[in-house]
Amino acid sequence: MTRDQLHDTILQILTEDFEFENPALDDNLRDDHGFDSIDAIELLGKIEGFLGLTLTREEKEQAMTIRTINDILDYIEKIQLQRAS
Amino acid sequence: MKRRVVITASSAITPIGYAKEDIIDHLRQGKSGVRPLVDDGLLTRHIHSHVFGTVDYVIDYGFKRQDRKTMGPVAYYACQVAKDVLERSGLSREFITSGRLGVAFGSTHGSPTVQRTIYKTFFGDLENSFSSIGAVDYLRSMVHTTAVNITRMFGITGRIISSSTACTTSSQSIGYGYEMIKYGMQDAMLCGGADEYDTTTVAVFDNLLACSVKYNDTPHRTPRPFDADRDGLVVGEGGGAVLLEEYTAAKKRGATILGEIIGFSCNNNGGDLILPNLDGIRTTLQLALDDAAIDAASVDFISAHATATKMGDVIEAQAIDAVYGGHPYVTGLKSYMGHTMGTCGVIELILTLYMMEQNFLAPTLNLEKIDERCSMLRHTPEVIDSRTVIAAIQNFAFGGVNTCLLVKNGKNLD
Repeated sequence: MTRDQLHDTILQILTEDFEFENPALDDNLRDDHGFDSIDAIELLGKIEGFLGLTLTREEKEQAMTIRTINDILDYIEKIQLQRAS
Repeated sequence: MKRRVVITASSAITPIGYAKEDIIDHLRQGKSGVRPLVDDGLLTRHIHSHVFGTVDYVIDYGFKRQDRKTMGPVAYYACQVAKDVLERSGLSREFITSGRLGVAFGSTHGSPTVQRTIYKTFFGDLENSFSSIGAVDYLRSMVHTTAVNITRMFGITGRIISSSTACTTSSQSIGYGYEMIKYGMQDAMLCGGADEYDTTTVAVFDNLLACSVKYNDTPHRTPRPFDADRDGLVVGEGGGAVLLEEYTAAKKRGATILGEIIGFSCNNNGGDLILPNLDGIRTTLQLALDDAAIDAASVDFISAHATATKMGDVIEAQAIDAVYGGHPYVTGLKSYMGHTMGTCGVIELILTLYMMEQNFLAPTLNLEKIDERCSMLRHTPEVIDSRTVIAAIQNFAFGGVNTCLLVKNGKNLD
């Protein structure tokens, strides 16, 4: 998936499933949208779903530093890159 | 320190309605909330009892996702009635979050609907779906899910009591909430219970031969507490909450006072976990009177536990007779909606408060031919005008737990 495609997919998930209102790429997920650790695990499950893969425990732990939507996109690209190499 | 404790708001989701007017209409018109048991695609085909006290209307919850995500069906009921009582109470956000308001709220066993989903993973495609078992499943299904979803939704920071004692869950919650305020540990308590549609409970009672099976084609004719033709209990669902406050503070802020909790008792039979026990029940009825420092003749009305099991009603009748004789009117309110399990105590308290406010008493529905072993009681004969001053709410549970709440009419408290 290209970054633009990822962006559209993630925004769709955040607005439809997580009920974000007017999400912006650099919003703080927790402070601006109440996104917490439970949401993070649920989002990882959805990422697994649309990428068609199962994240390892180590890969999931890498997601714990995510703070913004841009971070989510960076994370997915990094995972795809790691898996491709 | 002993302080007086009053009820300043209430709300109940019941098989006979949600709005107060609907519930009163069912009581006055003798309308039942028992319906055919909804098929769960799993247990119902094995269950002999095909009746259930059903919440068959849509509730517009309007909860935000941040609140919904940790809620199973049981927490929806709990948070909705909690929202109602906090709104109706007029308490400030500052007080609600001050730590002076606590929560005593429970359910029989959390959310069996969510638990069933987890079990499906266990016995299904575990290899590919293990990761679907998450923290959210636990938060939605755990025993104290109702209490902590309430605290989360409203930012309540006081004490938490999460009773889970089957049929005495909510009466115990109210009783322990009352003691929290009475002895100065908290200034207010949001108390109650909830239980969702669940066929596991029906199966348990069905296998014990304790469920009603003879009225599957006429659900409204069962359960039949104290009736000679009763054949067991009917499981139901619902939720209920009351707000308890310290009396002088409630009066000072001009709160509406619906009633005063003047006594509470809770004991255990100390033996068999299922069979009703005359000594245990009689003792708990007397202990409540002792706690309130009143004599039995002061009690005008008894909301009996009265599940319509063959043994339970007889033992309860004997206990009432031993403590009260034939003076107070007696009604088994489960006759209108079945046994809402952990919720029954709070719902029966709220229905009693409604009847107190409206100066009437409703009779036990379906009580057509009184079992002669229960005939020594003063059964409420029909809908009657009656100004009840003090009422007793009696509940007994699997595990040998007994409770009794004594409530005084909120009008003209001195």
